[in-house]
Amino acid sequence: MLTIDRRSWMLRIPLGILVLVLVALCSESAWAAPQEADPEYRALPFISSRVLMWAVAELHLMFAAFVLAVPIFALVIEFIGYKTGDRRYDQLAYDFTKLLSVSFSFTATLGALLTFGLIVFYPALTQYLVKIFSWTFLPYVLLFFLEAFFLYAYYYGWGKLSPRLHLFLGVMLNIVGTAIMFIANAWLTFMNTPNGIDEMGNLTNIWEAINNYIWMPINIHRIIANVAFGGAIGAAYGAFKFLGAKTLEARAHYDWMGYIGIFVAICALLPLPFAGYWLGVEIYAYDQSLGITLMGGTFSWLFIVQAVLIGNLFLAANYYLWLSMARIPGAERFRGFIKYLLGIITLCFIVWATPHSLVATVEEARAMGGSHHPILNVLGVMSAKNTAVNLLILTTYVSFLLYRRANKEATVSWAKTGNWVQFGIFAAVVIYVVFLGVYGYFVDAQTRIGLSQPQVMSVLFAMISVTVIDIFLFKNAKSRGEIVWGKISARSQYALFFLAITFTWLMGLMGYVRAGMRQHWHVYGVVRDTSVDAFTPTLGYAGGVVSAIVIVFFLLIAIVFFLAGLSGRKDWEPKSGSRWSKAEASAPIDS
Amino acid sequence: MKQALKIFGFTIVVSVFYWYVSLWVPQKRTEPPEDIEIGANLTTEEMIPIGEEIVAGKGTCLTCHTMGDHGTGLRFPDLAGIGAIAGERVAGQSDVYYLAESMYDPNAYVLEGYVAGMPNVARPPIALTDQEILTVIAYLQSLGGTPTVTMDTQLEWQGQAPASQDVAPAAVGGNRDAETLFAAYLCNTCHTLDGTAAAGPTLQGLGGRMSKAEIYEAIVDPDATVTEGFVAGVMTAMLDATGFHEQVSASELQALVDYLASL
Repeated sequence: MLTIDRRSWMLRIPLGILVLVLVALCSESAWAAPQEADPEYRALPFISSRVLMWAVAELHLMFAAFVLAVPIFALVIEFIGYKTGDRRYDQLAYDFTKLLSVSFSFTATLGALLTFGLIVFYPALTQYLVKIFSWTFLPYVLLFFLEAFFLYAYYYGWGKLSPRLHLFLGVMLNIVGTAIMFIANAWLTFMNTPNGIDEMGNLTNIWEAINNYIWMPINIHRIIANVAFGGAIGAAYGAFKFLGAKTLEARAHYDWMGYIGIFVAICALLPLPFAGYWLGVEIYAYDQSLGITLMGGTFSWLFIVQAVLIGNLFLAANYYLWLSMARIPGAERFRGFIKYLLGIITLCFIVWATPHSLVATVEEARAMGGSHHPILNVLGVMSAKNTAVNLLILTTYVSFLLYRRANKEATVSWAKTGNWVQFGIFAAVVIYVVFLGVYGYFVDAQTRIGLSQPQVMSVLFAMISVTVIDIFLFKNAKSRGEIVWGKISARSQYALFFLAITFTWLMGLMGYVRAGMRQHWHVYGVVRDTSVDAFTPTLGYAGGVVSAIVIVFFLLIAIVFFLAGLSGRKDWEPKSGSRWSKAEASAPIDS
Repeated sequence: MKQALKIFGFTIVVSVFYWYVSLWVPQKRTEPPEDIEIGANLTTEEMIPIGEEIVAGKGTCLTCHTMGDHGTGLRFPDLAGIGAIAGERVAGQSDVYYLAESMYDPNAYVLEGYVAGMPNVARPPIALTDQEILTVIAYLQSLGGTPTVTMDTQLEWQGQAPASQDVAPAAVGGNRDAETLFAAYLCNTCHTLDGTAAAGPTLQGLGGRMSKAEIYEAIVDPDATVTEGFVAGVMTAMLDATGFHEQVSASELQALVDYLASL
C-alpha cells in the first residue's frame, strides 16, 4: 500500500532530479561562458529570457505566498479548535495544511529555477546583487532548512504530537517563513529603491540596503496579501471538493471550508488598500518621479485594470455572501437590502474604474473640449476614487454584517438603541467620507493627498465600533435556526473560483507593476537594463503574459489539489480474481 | 474529471476576460531613452529643438511638469512661459542660473505652494549630461523668453555628475568589455580618442607611443610621467575622487591596458 506520505516523497524525487539537471545545465553554461566574452545577458532561441524569468518569478511568488499564508490561518483555526475542543476546526486546519506539502516542493523548485535563470540570463545583474547581499545568503539558507523542518514536522506530526507542541511547531513555522520572506523582500525592494550604497553603487551599509524605503511596506503588504491569496486558494480547494462531494456530510464540510477560506481572504482584502497606500507614500518619499511614473505616468492605465479586478473581487465576494444566506434560516428578512447594496457597489465600481483621460480622435477630443471628458474628468481623479473605494469597503462590511446576524434576534434590552447607534455611525461616516471627497476638489494637491487618511481612519472606526456593538448586541441572541452547511447552489462555488482566479490575476498584475515601474533599470538609478528587452511592454502584452501565468499556476495547483485529495481516498484493493489478489491470498501470513 | 475540466475551462475564460480588459485600455510601449548626439558647435537656435526632445524624452520632465495646464491642483510648477519669468523668480539670479540650479540642485529653491522632491537631473536615473542640460535650458528660455545660453556657457555645477552611462561603476563587475569600462570609470571625461584636446592628453594612437607597461604605470601612478603641457596631480586627484583604485579589479585593469594599447 502507498500512503500519501510516500506519494509526496515520490513527487519530490523527480523534482529533485529536475533541479539537479538544471544545476548541471546551468553550471556548464555559467562556467563555460567567462572564457568567451562574458556577456551581460544571454538569450533563448524561442522565447524572450525576460518573459521566461517573469513567468518563473511570478509562479514562484504565487506558490511562496500560498505556502506562507496557509500556516497563518491554519494555525489560528487549529488554535480555535484547541480552545473550543471542537474537532471540526482541527480537521479544517488539517485540510488546509494538506495543501502545503506539495506546494512547498513546487515553491522550492521554482525558486531554484529562478536563481539559475538569473545566473544564466542576467549574469551582470546577479553579480551586482550578490556583491550587495552576500551577507544575507547564509541566514536565508539556514532559515530555509528550518522552514522545511517545521513545515514537515507540522504536517506529519498532526495528531501524533501533543496539541501544545504541535501549535508551537505552527508558530515556529510562521516565524521562520516570515523571516525568509523578509530577506527575499530586501533583495527585490532594493532593486526599486536602492539604499545603503554610495553614488558609484558600492555598498556602504548592509542594513540600510535591506531596510530600504519600501522594504517594510512591502513586508506588511505581502503578509496581508498572502493571507488574502492563500484564503482564496483554500476556498477554491473547498469549492473543488464540494462540487465533487458524494455525501451530504462532505458537502457540508467543504461548504464550510470554502466559506472560512473566503472569509479569511476578504478580511485580509479590506485592510490591503491601506497597506498599499503606505507603500505608495514610501515610493513617493524615495523619488517623486518614480511615484509619478507609477501612478500618473506610464502605468496610470494599469490602475484602471486593477480597479476592474478589485471591483470584481468586491462584487463576487458580496454575491457569494448573498448566496450564502440561503443556508441560514431567517436570512430572508434581509433579502430586500441586497438590491441597494448591489446598487452602491456598482456605482462605486464605476467611479473607481473611471479613467481620468480618454483615448479619443481629434474630432472627439474637440467635441469634448479636450482629452478630459467634462464628466469623466470629475470622476476620474483621486478624490472621487478614494471616496468610492472607502464606500465599497463599507458596503461589503454591511453585507457581512447582515450575513452575521441572519439567523439571530437580539434579546438585550437596548437592542433598538444599539441598532440606531450602529446606523448613526454608518451614516455619519458615509457623510464624512463623501464630504472629504468633495472638499478635495477645492484644495491644493498636498492637502488633497492628506485627506485620504481621515477617510480611511473613519471607515476603520466604523467597522471596528459597529463590530464591537454587534458582538454585545447579539450576545445570548435568540436563534432562528442553525446554519445548514452544504445547502448552497453550485453557482456560489463558481463565485469562489472566480474570486481565486481574480486574486491570482491581481497578484500577477501588481507583481508586474512593482518590477515594471523601474522601466529601463534593473536596479533603479544604479544598474541600467541594456538588454533587447529594456522596453516597457504594452499593458495588453503584460496582460497576456499574466493570463498565461495564471493558467499555468492553476494547472499546477490542480496537481496540488489532486495529490492533497489522495489522502482521503480508501486504500487500493485488488479486484477479486486478479493476479494481485491471488498473490495476496497465497502469500504467507507473516510476510 | 468532467468537473475538473469545467473548472479549468472557467479559469481560462476568466483569465482571457482580464486579458481582454488589459487590451481595452490604451496600449503604449515605452522605449528606454536614447542618447542624443550633441555637437560642440551647436548654435543656440540649434540647441532648442534638441532640448525640447530631451524634455519630452530622456529628461522625463513631462512626467511631473505640465505645459500649459493652469489648474490649481498641480503637484509641480507648470512650465509654460517659464522663459519669461525665470529671471525674476529669485532676486539676483539670471534666468540661466535659475534654470540650471533648478535642474542640478532643484531643492535649493522651491517655488511657494510646492514641496521639494525633484531629483538632480544630472544624476541617475535621469543622468542628463552637462551638454544636454544646456540644450534644455535653451529650450526652457525659448518658452516665452529669448534664449541666450550657448554650448560654451559655463555653469558652476558642470563636471560634477557622472557622464551618461549605463551602469554605476560599482555595478560593472568583471564581465564588461574594455570600451564600457573606459566610459564607466569616466576616463572619457578627460581623454578623447579622436585627437581633439581635452583636460587630459588624447589617447588616439596611444599603442604606438607607449608600451603596455608604460600604460599600466600611467594608470596606477599617473604622476610618474606627465605628458608635456599637462599638469601633474590632476589625474591622481580624479582617480582618488572617484575611488578608482578601490573599485577596479585586476582583470578590469588588464582589460583597460589591452584596450588602450590597441588604440
